Amino acid sequence: MNTVVVDSISAAEQGTSLWTDAWARLRKNRLALFGLWVLVLFSVIALLTPWLAPYAYDAQNLDLGPTPPSAAHWFGTDIFGRDLLTQIMYGGRISLAVGFTATAVALLIGVTWGAIAGYVGGRVDAVMMRLVDILYALPFMIFIVLLMVVFGRNLLLLFLAIGAVEWLTMARIMRGQVQSLRQQEFVEAAISLGLSPTTIVRRHLVPNALGPIIVYTTLTIPSVMLLEAFLSFLGLGVQPPQTSWGLLISYGAETMEEFPWLLIFPGAALTLTLFALNFLGDGLRDALDVRGSGD
Amino acid sequence: MPAFISRLFIVFVALSALAACSPGESNVAQGNRDGILHFGNGSEPQGLDPHVVTGVPESKLIDALYEGLTRKNPWTLEPEPGAAARWEFSEDRRVITFYLQPEGRWSNGDPVTADDFVWSWRRALDPAMGNQYAYMLYPVANAEAYATGQITDPEALGVRALDDLTLEVTLTEPTPYFLQLMDHYSSFAVPRATIEKYGKATDRFTQWTRVGNIVTNGPFQLKEWKLNRRIVVEKNPHYWDADTVKLNGVVFYPTENIVSEERMFRVNQLHYTADVPLDKIPGYRAQVDSPFVEAPYLGTYFYLLNTKRAPMDDVRVRLALSMAIDREALTESVLYGSNDPAWSITPPGTLGYQPPQLFSYDPGKARQLLTEAGFPNGEGWPTVELMYNTSESHRKVAVAVQQMWKDVLNITVTLSNQEWKVYLDSVSQMDFQIARRGWIGDYVDPNNFLDMYITDGGNNNTGFSDPVYDELILREAPQALTREERFAIFREAETRLMTQMPILPVYTYASKHLVHPSVHGLPPNLMDFINLKYVTLEAEPLPGNGVQ
Repeated sequence: MNTVVVDSISAAEQGTSLWTDAWARLRKNRLALFGLWVLVLFSVIALLTPWLAPYAYDAQNLDLGPTPPSAAHWFGTDIFGRDLLTQIMYGGRISLAVGFTATAVALLIGVTWGAIAGYVGGRVDAVMMRLVDILYALPFMIFIVLLMVVFGRNLLLLFLAIGAVEWLTMARIMRGQVQSLRQQEFVEAAISLGLSPTTIVRRHLVPNALGPIIVYTTLTIPSVMLLEAFLSFLGLGVQPPQTSWGLLISYGAETMEEFPWLLIFPGAALTLTLFALNFLGDGLRDALDVRGSGD
Repeated sequence: MPAFISRLFIVFVALSALAACSPGESNVAQGNRDGILHFGNGSEPQGLDPHVVTGVPESKLIDALYEGLTRKNPWTLEPEPGAAARWEFSEDRRVITFYLQPEGRWSNGDPVTADDFVWSWRRALDPAMGNQYAYMLYPVANAEAYATGQITDPEALGVRALDDLTLEVTLTEPTPYFLQLMDHYSSFAVPRATIEKYGKATDRFTQWTRVGNIVTNGPFQLKEWKLNRRIVVEKNPHYWDADTVKLNGVVFYPTENIVSEERMFRVNQLHYTADVPLDKIPGYRAQVDSPFVEAPYLGTYFYLLNTKRAPMDDVRVRLALSMAIDREALTESVLYGSNDPAWSITPPGTLGYQPPQLFSYDPGKARQLLTEAGFPNGEGWPTVELMYNTSESHRKVAVAVQQMWKDVLNITVTLSNQEWKVYLDSVSQMDFQIARRGWIGDYVDPNNFLDMYITDGGNNNTGFSDPVYDELILREAPQALTREERFAIFREAETRLMTQMPILPVYTYASKHLVHPSVHGLPPNLMDFINLKYVTLEAEPLPGNGVQ
């Protein structure tokens, strides 16, 4: 009996079962699983869009014009007679790519920055966090516009630029988490065992701080998608005939009285993604929260 | 986190929030009571200096603030007294004597004198001023030579003050449309003392046009200027005809997004909109007692081609691009039939003048021309960008045209949009490959469209240069004795222009506005000209709910 318990503890400390464990817990959470499958489905559709899309994304039919959903056009057509389903599929590629890439960039910078500042503390922390404050004070739009002006319009750069302004909050959350965690006994234990700071941060602090980070990440993705729409509307992001969900929604909103389907379907796609992300985020937080589940 | 959620919120809701009802009384109800017109003006103006600006939003403000020697009557478009009470032509119609209003005053109470006009015209024509509209005064003797630096003595200009209230203007040729030019802001008088207080006469964008500094001679004076929010003007008590002015003030809203402008109108925040969203037109047309007012408008919507940059330096490419645009399909569907296709720069029927139509929608010919130019089936086509100023209608036209070029010529043209002031800068510096452009007649005469394309003309912006064309427009047309002869010269010049196709005409403008039923004295006219002096507000029996 005793040996079995010891075995499982040692396994936990190797860090592999954190994920196995979490996966087991996540699978019990139906909403989270639904979210996961929706995201997987949307991502697969986005990847396969060039083969799946019923029409060419820029094929116009001016004589047809805007028509409500029909057998030929499931989601209807826009004012240029373009198939809306196709537009949403192609728009999803951009929106999901922007959402995931920019968030990944923000996550990478923010978590590293916050963890270092929080763990090292003292003067390093002060300098690093003041830098974050300064960047916070800069109007983010001007920053992105500057990047766009200097480097020209480029989709990848847009992803990076958005990520580069979105990491600030992430860094703050991470720093706060790490600061409270490093006071706890298990970190002191790790220090007294002689683990290097890098290992402690990577092995003990980051996984324990994952809960809030994941929740925040799931909020960042939709906000980044909207930010992209905003930038595109100003002429800094995606340009026609390329499109994104954010753009489709902002165009659709202009004509929602005349052609409501132009707003409803892209809106539904974005909302569904947003819900899926939130369900998944909630589920992941519960699944990964070692302390909460232990008691 | 709250900051971030609010940002997210702003992106989506900002526009509708703008339009949302403020608690209590609507702008329209309040305005009808207080005599304040709430006027949608399209864009934030570039400035308020009549010798600097070029756009339509600016002209609405400047017409409210200043007054030229004559002013168009909004019903007949005939010139009527402005700063000048009357005028006389000499026998040969080359000398005009203007007698200024004896009661003419600037908004600070100083008299408006003939010297003010002499000084202002010298300023407008000074090469250092960089006035893009300088050529509007070229009919004046020696004006062109002075503006192009061939002579430097301002005394040589054909404008002089005989006394405080008498201005004598000498023209090179009898110019039939000259009185109309006196209603254009490049010929307006500007306040010398104020301008010199804040810089040199020819300094652009100094502090003199700011609230509190600016002095004007029109029916209204500047009261408040909140960047990108509103510009408020109030009645000018010193205006010579102040008794006619019924409004106590006008609030100009620079609402670039015409969709939110339309929403503002619907919730009674505006009396008048600068434009109407295309998709709303069928709905408004169907309404009974619709506030929708559309009228032919003396203007052409076109694309500028930068003939100094490859591949648009090749006339075959320019012709191919033009022939590949299906203008009929575009105007019928995207524009809901509210505009006619344009085949040349001059709107048809300007004073009876008919421009030539040298081409039509011809995909086969277009492909052939592109092949000859070295791009068979679009192969080897470089990156070309079509630039337009941010607007939902311009975007729609651009998206449709972009696809027509792709379908017909198999070439990719990318789109980019710029904010109005940036766009104007890019266009005037020719920092573009293809740019959307519209030209609205400043006066009713084909010359107003054709003299843009003289070599190095301030609004040429394409690099087009043809000495024969210059000769026809600048020398031969003004000397023509009859209208038929003059129009024949214009036709010849326009044929030369459209053979070279430095611009792609797309459609002829129609003015489209939503006008609240309480507004009177805003008749639709060919120039879309507004004289705010005649506007009155008469609240209906049930104010505040004029439009559903």
